[in-house]
Amino acid sequence: MTTRALVLLAGLGLPLLCGPPGGTPAPDIPRSPEGKPDFSGIWQSLSGADYGLEPHLATKDEPPGAGVVEGNTIPYRPSALAERAKNFAARATADPRHKCFTLGTPRGIYGNEPFQIFQRPRDLTLLFEFGHPVRTIHTNGTEHPDGHIDFWLGDSRGHWEGDTLVVDVTDFNGELWLDRVGNFNSDALHLVERWSYADRNTIRYRATFDDPKVYTRPWTLEVLLYRRLEPNVQIIENYCATLDYDEYYPVPSKLESLKGK
Amino acid sequence: MMTMKKRLQILLGALAVVSVGASAQGMRGWRETSFVPTPGGEWNGARLADGQPDVSGHWSNTIGNHNNLTDPQGPLGVDDEDGPRNARPAKPRSERAPSRVSDPADGQVPFQPWARAKQQEFLKYLNNPTRPEYVEPFARCAPGGPSKSFMWHGYEIRQFPGYVVFLFDSGNRVIHLDGKPHLPPNLKLWNGDSRGHWEGNTLVVDTTNNNSKARLGRTGEFVSENATIAERFIFDPGGQRFTYDATYTDATVLTRPFTITIPNRKVTASTPVDDWNNLTFPAKHRGNEPIIEAYERVCVEGNGNHGQVVAAK
Repeated sequence: MTTRALVLLAGLGLPLLCGPPGGTPAPDIPRSPEGKPDFSGIWQSLSGADYGLEPHLATKDEPPGAGVVEGNTIPYRPSALAERAKNFAARATADPRHKCFTLGTPRGIYGNEPFQIFQRPRDLTLLFEFGHPVRTIHTNGTEHPDGHIDFWLGDSRGHWEGDTLVVDVTDFNGELWLDRVGNFNSDALHLVERWSYADRNTIRYRATFDDPKVYTRPWTLEVLLYRRLEPNVQIIENYCATLDYDEYYPVPSKLESLKGK
Repeated sequence: MMTMKKRLQILLGALAVVSVGASAQGMRGWRETSFVPTPGGEWNGARLADGQPDVSGHWSNTIGNHNNLTDPQGPLGVDDEDGPRNARPAKPRSERAPSRVSDPADGQVPFQPWARAKQQEFLKYLNNPTRPEYVEPFARCAPGGPSKSFMWHGYEIRQFPGYVVFLFDSGNRVIHLDGKPHLPPNLKLWNGDSRGHWEGNTLVVDTTNNNSKARLGRTGEFVSENATIAERFIFDPGGQRFTYDATYTDATVLTRPFTITIPNRKVTASTPVDDWNNLTFPAKHRGNEPIIEAYERVCVEGNGNHGQVVAAK
């Protein structure tokens, strides 16, 4: 565990969840029959990253956060900084989250609602509570499709490096945000994720962003994901977009009134 | 290969109120006018490591889309943007697939009179939605609900220890096999809350917590949020077909329970891509074995709030 991560954890007041030093495999982690780390389970970030990836003080609507970006600051190009400022000013309505769009990749991982990982040898199925979309990480040796495809969740191809799942994500559409304060990427984003167990109930998730249209150099964020351990916990579908018209469709009270007609 | 945009255009075209034309094109190669339901029994096919019958892969129904619940290949019965195509049937009733309502024998939902009148009202205003509730919620990218999801595009089944997961074109659904209790009864969901177990070749599912906001067809059939659904997914051991049976019990709307039956067929690497039943494409890889994948399934993000505009009229 790096000094930075220790500082981060201490800053968050979280108990120290320290894996063995030197990147050796954690001894007691769930494993698939094939011997790979088995990430099956329901996971949630407590990082507060969705409120803002960079260090930020509290507002009336958001708690403060020490940030999850290595080096604290996302290295934006000047033009991109101006766009982020525009996003920030309009964030009360312009955040795609308000339209109930999928949080996308990687925002769905550290968003405020849980997600479930279902794992098979050929892929990992990530089912997010918010919007209830599915992202597939293929781990069967397949490659990104030819050409650029504008996917909302990107195209994810993973492979194992020891006990770390390394995922290469391309084919973004550049229409989503990375947090609630307007940080963003373009369709040119090339994301590399590294998923590894810190202990049997904690995943260390790292994501490196390479997007020359928006950033001057690659940068990395890291969050921990905690296993949801409540008895019988399950993902509850949150088809957020339906809330706008939910009232128009039959409910008992409405049915009762319909009966009277 | 088709771009995502092209694929979205097709999806949007099909999702829009003008759905029938494009969908009917896609269905042609698959359409069956009759079928033999798969009988329940032993499972002699492949199994997964956890003992479940291996039924994972891509599937699609074989009789038609969600246009008409009780006459899947028949006319909608009201004027449509497609005009005559929906106003009159192409073939006599006896040459079209039977009603999806397999019980009672008359093929109709056993509605209480007030509910039948309401269904007729929903149908009458389907294409002229003068009130927000006349907009078929599926057109707004709402999930199709437990049964109607099987009356739409091809879908995928993924299995894991303790779970069967359905990835539909509009919404996803998890069947829990681990015996955990249902969610608290006041949590009503579009796809309900499903608990299942395997009995031989049959996945037996008990679905509660239904908000029942999804209609059962564009023809306007519906149930209330008091409905419970007993579903049976009966798989042919050859792995190429399954029959979906769903028995609805709902004293609020019905005079007696009824059952929906839908035949389904496996989509494989050799299935022609028709952008309706088969939405898969060959994955790029260095090996020789055929691997198929589907594009990401999104709806709200690409649908531009379709339906909201209609509702605002």
